[in-house]
Amino acid sequence: MAEQKKVRLVIERQDGPEAQPYTQEFDVDYRPGLNIVAALMEIQKNPVTVDGKRVPPVVWECNCLEKVCGACMMVINGKPRQACCSLVDNLTQPIRIAPARTFPVIRDLLIDRSVMFESLKKIQGWVNVDGSWESTDAPRQNPYTAATAYEISHCMTCGCCLEACPNVGPQSDFIGPAPTVQAYLFNLHPLGAYDAPKRLNALMEKGGITSCGNSQNCVEVCPKNIKLTTYLAQLNRDVNKQALRNIFNE
Amino acid sequence: MIHSTFYLRRLHSLVGLVVLGGVIFEHVFTNSMALGGPEALNGALAMMELIPHPIFLAIEVCCIAVPLLFHAIYGIYIALQANNNPGRLGYIRNWQFALQRWTAWFLVVFLIWHIFYLRIFTKGIMGTPISYELLQSYFTGSPLVAAIYVLGMFAAIFHFCNGITTFCMTWGIAKGPRVQNVVSVLSMCLCAALCLVTLTFMGSYFVM
Repeated sequence: MAEQKKVRLVIERQDGPEAQPYTQEFDVDYRPGLNIVAALMEIQKNPVTVDGKRVPPVVWECNCLEKVCGACMMVINGKPRQACCSLVDNLTQPIRIAPARTFPVIRDLLIDRSVMFESLKKIQGWVNVDGSWESTDAPRQNPYTAATAYEISHCMTCGCCLEACPNVGPQSDFIGPAPTVQAYLFNLHPLGAYDAPKRLNALMEKGGITSCGNSQNCVEVCPKNIKLTTYLAQLNRDVNKQALRNIFNE
Repeated sequence: MIHSTFYLRRLHSLVGLVVLGGVIFEHVFTNSMALGGPEALNGALAMMELIPHPIFLAIEVCCIAVPLLFHAIYGIYIALQANNNPGRLGYIRNWQFALQRWTAWFLVVFLIWHIFYLRIFTKGIMGTPISYELLQSYFTGSPLVAAIYVLGMFAAIFHFCNGITTFCMTWGIAKGPRVQNVVSVLSMCLCAALCLVTLTFMGSYFVM
C-alpha cells in the first residue's frame, strides 16, 4: 500500500485574549478535496503535534461550510479568507494559519467580530418599515440597481476586507469597507433611500468613509467578489454632494 | 454635526493636489531652465525677483508654507493610522498606498533640510541669492547632496502623481475599476516624465 500523504499545518495559537501567541505544527492525512475546516476537524479528533505532543485542540469558528455565513474567516498563507472554501490542493505547503488580528483574538483562531455589528448600527444598516404591504402594493426595487443591491447584499460580514485593509486596526478608528458599503445597499432600497442623508452624514463622521486610503486590498480579498472600491467611490461622490447640501441648504 | 474630520480630509486632498502640486510643477519648470545653461536659469530666477518683495513673501507664506505645514502635519496623523502590509498583500495599489506613506516620511525630513538650508539659511539669513552657480557648486561639490535631492524630487513627484489617482477616487471622480486603472496609468506616466526631466536637469550640472 502506498504511504499516506500528509498535509503540514503551521498554526498560530493563543490561549486567551491577553496570552502570548505561539505556533504549533500538525500533520493531517491528505485526501482529495480536503479543505482547511476539514483539516482542523481532523486536528480536533487527534490533537497531536508533529513532535508527538498531545495538546488542547485548536479552537476556531465555523458554521455553514459553504461560504455563506462568514464565520470561519482566518488568515491562511498570509491572506484573509474563508477556511471552508480554502482547498488544500490550492495552497502551498506548509499551510500557515493565523487568526485575523485586526479583531480581538479570543482563543487560537477564534476572533470577536462584534465591532462590525456596532459599525452597522452607526451607519443605520437597516430599512425603517412602518407596516407591510400586499406584494403588488409594495414599493418596487429599481430594476437597474437591483443587481447591484443583490451583489452588495451577499456581504456576510466575514471581515476579510477589514483584515486586509491597512487602515483598519487598533491604530485607527476606520469602520472598514464592509460596513461602509452596506450604507450604499440601504440607500438603494426604495424605502431605505429616505434615510440616505442620515447614513451619508454618519459616513462623514470620524472613522467613516474619509478614513479610506485607497489601498484597494478590500476588493482583492472579498470572498463574495463585491466591487467594494466602486461602491466606496460612489459613496465618496454621494458624501460630497451631501456635504454641499449641508452647507448650502441651511 | 460639524464633520470636522470630513472637511479636514477633503482639504488635505485638495491642498495636496492643487496647491502643492502647483509648487512641484513650478520647481520642475524653473529648475529645468538649468538645461539652458547659467543665463537661462538665472534669467528665470531674475523674473521671479521682479515680483515686489512683500508680495513674493506673502505668496511664499500663503501658497507654500501654510499649505505645506497643514498637509504635512495632518498627513503625519493620517500616515500613523496605517499599518502598511504590502509584504503580505502585494497588490500594486497596496504597494502604492505604502509608498505614498513612505515617501511622505522621507519628504518631511528632506523638506525640513531643504527649506531650512536653502530658503531660510542661505537666502534668508546669509542673503545669498539663489543662482545657477550656487546650485552647481552645491550639487557637484557633494554628489551625496545631489543624490538626496534627486531622491527628494522623485519622492515628491511620486507622492503627487499617486495623489492624482487617489484624489480621483476620494472625490468620486473615477468610480469603476477601468477608469481608475486608466487614471493610475496616466498619472504614473506623468510621474515617469517628471522624474526623467528632474534627472536630466540635475545631471546637467555635472556635465556643463
